[in-house]
Amino acid sequence: MSAIELDGVTKRFDDVTAVSNLSLTVEEGEIFGFLGPNGAGKSTTINLLLDFVRPTDGAVTVLGHDAREESVAVRERTGVLPEGFDVYDRLTGRAHVEFAIDSKDVDADPEAVLARVGIADAADRQAGGYSKGMRQRLALAMALVGEPDLLILDEPSSGLDPAGAKEMREIVLAEAERGTTVFFSSHILEQVEAVCDRVGILREGELVAVDSIEGLRAASDTDASLRVTVGERVDDNVLSAVRDLAGVDRVDRDGDDALRVACDSDAKTRVVTELEARGVSVTDFTTEEASLEDLFLAYTERAEDVEATGADDETDDEMADDETDDDEMADDETDDEMADGEVANEPDEAADEPDDETAEDAEVPR
Amino acid sequence: MSWQAVARKEFRDAIRSRWLHGSTLFFALFLGGAPALFFGLLIPADLRQVSNLFGFFADLGVFSFSFPGLLALILGFVALSTSYGSITEERETGSIKLLLSLPNSRLDAMLGKLLGRSAVVVVALLVGFFATFVVLLGTGTGLQIGSFVPQIALTVLLGVAFVSIGLSLSALADSNREATLATMGLYLVFAVLWGSVSEGIPKLLNYTAEQVGIGSLSEVLRVKIGVFLKYLNPLKTYETLSAQVYYGPEQARLVTTTFGEQAILTPVLRESIPFYFTGWFLLLILLAWIAIPVAVGYRAFEQADL
Repeated sequence: MSAIELDGVTKRFDDVTAVSNLSLTVEEGEIFGFLGPNGAGKSTTINLLLDFVRPTDGAVTVLGHDAREESVAVRERTGVLPEGFDVYDRLTGRAHVEFAIDSKDVDADPEAVLARVGIADAADRQAGGYSKGMRQRLALAMALVGEPDLLILDEPSSGLDPAGAKEMREIVLAEAERGTTVFFSSHILEQVEAVCDRVGILREGELVAVDSIEGLRAASDTDASLRVTVGERVDDNVLSAVRDLAGVDRVDRDGDDALRVACDSDAKTRVVTELEARGVSVTDFTTEEASLEDLFLAYTERAEDVEATGADDETDDEMADDETDDDEMADDETDDEMADGEVANEPDEAADEPDDETAEDAEVPR
Repeated sequence: MSWQAVARKEFRDAIRSRWLHGSTLFFALFLGGAPALFFGLLIPADLRQVSNLFGFFADLGVFSFSFPGLLALILGFVALSTSYGSITEERETGSIKLLLSLPNSRLDAMLGKLLGRSAVVVVALLVGFFATFVVLLGTGTGLQIGSFVPQIALTVLLGVAFVSIGLSLSALADSNREATLATMGLYLVFAVLWGSVSEGIPKLLNYTAEQVGIGSLSEVLRVKIGVFLKYLNPLKTYETLSAQVYYGPEQARLVTTTFGEQAILTPVLRESIPFYFTGWFLLLILLAWIAIPVAVGYRAFEQADL
């Protein structure tokens, strides 16, 4: 039996199609990473699994139960770390975990669960005074109550510092070890790479790829990046000639004495031959394996390459917005669902993001 | 079914709110202070009976005042305030995602909230009645347990009814702001406008009947319709039932009516009380004010995307 099965699922809100004809199967015991830029429909998909929203079309099955009709049965065996949630300000951390224990009707020691996520010392403080990272840990504690068969984690490390994110990863791996299926969404690639068996990439409500990371690398046409060291600055017309070669995705200058070429593996020799034929002296060349970042961008950017080229400025603005949003969880959801195709376009900035969040969310009570 | 878990959570959450502390204090002062003033200072010792305050109905024809009516107004306000944000606030903060990530059905959530929030109102109310009890003993007032205890029970039911009404508005509203406005509007209707509307409807029916040529409605029928509609208002249902526990149904059906209505209704009630004016039927109306709003709210909440 598969843990999660989406079959031709579409979800339309008044003016937006958040998820479009999505079919996806996650097997039992798998760690599945759900990737996509903000606004791609990740949260909507997770909301469909939990019956927070209902599909316009298609069938959603979780742990063998219909997600709509038998939602309680689904949630009895599922631990959830939702996105854009908040805690009950007036209740203590312990009271939150007790609420989870009561709701799931299981025997568990609140103290032990809180210790596992590292906030046992704050158990008797009102959660309204918790930092964002602590709130995140508290929700994880509630999710872990009752040894769920399936963990659904929506942007689990948002608000956590690197150490916290690492602990989160370790908990996820420990749960998977126990046989739990883990389904988690993220726009931060390192996490996915570190723990996932398979990933799915969502873009503007559509699933553009599902595979293991190796599989994605192999399938992607930007599977290699070639760095060519040249004797002198290369003319623009030579660049465009190389760009026109079959199998070449993009060519950029890397300083004055080097080029960076994204291309199919079998196009490498052609690139070098072409350069030499045009009188460029190639002194050295190296091949680098495409990073997951490149893969991600290749999948999520593809349509935009055609649509808009001069949109760099705009993208920068949106990135800035994203970082603000991470601070305000309540707003996050709206942005996630409404904003269409906000793509994390700048590899450098996206890679920096975990660190940025760290600075903003030091684990001290507000 | 995990509605108990939700109810416990709601209770633990609400019991820590400043609003509840304030309203509990208010009930204690009001329900302790009014009898202390009344029985301790104003009334001579031989007239000290619970009914003289908790069954106090002054009817001046155009304007009537009663102590149960005042208590109902206050309780309605407190109960609505306790519940109208119970879903919209959770939606706005996002805590509803924790609530419904756990294996709580939406029915569990509604019932749990109804119970938890009602418990909070009832606790505040009982603290108040405890203060009353202490004062009654202290002033040597006749307790009239057989009437006073049923009245307390009715008061509890009224509190739960308004919790249910507020909860349903919370389920129906799209935002906390909308829920606030709807609650204020509805309170205004119950507290102020209902009387005029229920007096207007029989006149409108009469006019319509005349226009279509059925002939006019008899005066008795018009008054019956008007008074019946008046008692559909939970505040008035409570008021007349409170009067009944002290004075019996005949007299109780005349409280909050006008002199004109009384003149026509008195002989009717004396002859025999129509079933729709009996205490049991009115009690059913009060219970319907608990069951129907929460059911309507649940229907909307069940269908909604979060």
